[in-house]
Amino acid sequence: MRLALERVGHAFLGRTVLDDVSLALDAHETVAIVGPSGCGKTTLLAIAAGLFDPLSGGVRRAYARHAAVFQEPRLLPWRTARENIGYGLEVRGVRRRARHAIAERLAEAVALAPEDLDKFPVELSGGMRQRVAFARALAIDPEVVFFDEPFTALDVGLRRALQDLVIGSARERGYAALFVTHDLLEAVRVAHRVIVMAHRGGRLAGMRTVADAPGWRDERTIWQTAEAWRTGDPLFAHVFGVEERA
Amino acid sequence: MIVRALGRLGRYAWSGWAGLTGLCCIAAAWQAGHEAYGSFILPAPLDTARALAALAASPEFLRTATETTGRALAGFTLAAVGGSLIGVLAGYSHAAIRAVKPILTVVLGVPPIAWIVLALIWFGSGGGTAIATVLIAALPIAFAGAAEGVATRDRALDAMARAFGAGPLRRFRSVVLPHLVSHLFPAWTTTLGTSFKVAVMAELLSNAGGIGGALAVARANLDVADAMAWVVLVVGLLLAFEYGVLHPVREELERWRAAGVPWGVKR
Ligand SMILES: Nc1ncnc2c1ncn2[C@@H]1O[C@H](COP(=O)(O)OP(=O)(O)O)[C@@H](O)[C@H]1O
Ligand SMILES: [Mg+2]
Repeated sequence: MRLALERVGHAFLGRTVLDDVSLALDAHETVAIVGPSGCGKTTLLAIAAGLFDPLSGGVRRAYARHAAVFQEPRLLPWRTARENIGYGLEVRGVRRRARHAIAERLAEAVALAPEDLDKFPVELSGGMRQRVAFARALAIDPEVVFFDEPFTALDVGLRRALQDLVIGSARERGYAALFVTHDLLEAVRVAHRVIVMAHRGGRLAGMRTVADAPGWRDERTIWQTAEAWRTGDPLFAHVFGVEERA
Repeated sequence: MIVRALGRLGRYAWSGWAGLTGLCCIAAAWQAGHEAYGSFILPAPLDTARALAALAASPEFLRTATETTGRALAGFTLAAVGGSLIGVLAGYSHAAIRAVKPILTVVLGVPPIAWIVLALIWFGSGGGTAIATVLIAALPIAFAGAAEGVATRDRALDAMARAFGAGPLRRFRSVVLPHLVSHLFPAWTTTLGTSFKVAVMAELLSNAGGIGGALAVARANLDVADAMAWVVLVVGLLLAFEYGVLHPVREELERWRAAGVPWGVKR
């Protein structure tokens, strides 16, 4: 067990956003969280990442380093791609030369061209920025990575490429991941398990396990699983039904 | 690295030609005014330049100019450093900003001339009066810029930094400070301008020498060319510090902003 949320509850201005949420994340495991927008996914992730404390319940962590990839790249505009990738390392006191070496290695891993490393974020495309943000997360060699709808803003082809990067790097590096998305296909592709959040009340509605490990599933099975869940499974019907009516 | 920095400096100097064009436009309008109203009201730019050269030849000149510059810069430094520091601290607290805002309005609402009178009473006539007036008139501007800069920091970036384990000091340095620069420099530019103006005004009224004192003498002698020459000198000093020090530093700190500008627009 790497991370456990125990009966977490939270409210903003008296409005309940999370209520009695418990979940555990094993080592080497990717868990997707799906749910309609506004149901509290980002809040859940922020609490898990320790950005703020929940009003009730607690978070247990059995690891040393975590990293996060957000919906927007959140790069420091005044730093080049290279220095952005090295940010987490800098926080940990890694020397400049070592940071740059790691940044160069990771740029290759996330398919960034070496000449892009000296560019500022404004000079990069949306997909490249998100690659930099992903490389920044991998740079600190995290044991847990939090993803908050990281690829929502990208087009389908790019999204696929980055999903494959997540699957590949999670397997190679062995990090556990909590992956928030509201794309069911994405959840089925990258995760071992899919947790569904209720659209109101801040509770978890249920959980489904995907057959085989991520990366070993063929596209047809992924697509069929997602489709079967979307159309035939009452757990998802309420989530995506709400989405379509909204 | 150094070569690239020199290249940027060269480009900055080159951009000075455009600024020079602007100054020439002012000179042309000045000349037109001179031809319309005559030498007594508005001496020609060239006559003023000649008067300035004559003044510069006198042994008193350097002392007068450095006296005013010293006072303006002393006031500016105190105001910029003090105002920015308090501003940064206040910027982190909405309550502090709300509490300080009316004070700022009051302080900024009192005309500098009134501060000079008060400072004269408190400090007597001398350099201290000029510096104190500059400080009071300029500090709120630096404060407002710094507080505004911190208050408008990017909270999403701040959360990112926290997610990567950055402590408050590092977050200030890596997330807030670079953003703050874009608020501080315009404030400091205004602060510097205020400093020179108020320093001269305070000197003139408190009989404390410097360029203000020299202006008072020129006025007593009805020597319009001399008065104009001193005015030109003050403006020249201000331009020198603003474009010789403040702007190059800012350009160097804000290279990332220039990176986003398309090629044709660069200069
Ligand atoms: N800082 C905040 N203050 C007040 N309300 C908030 C805050 N953050 C989120 N909320 C509210 O909490 C609910 C859940 O938000 P969020 O966790 O961002 O949802 P999701 O990520 O699932 O779309 C939303 O209704 C949102 O308006
Ligand atoms: Mg969200």
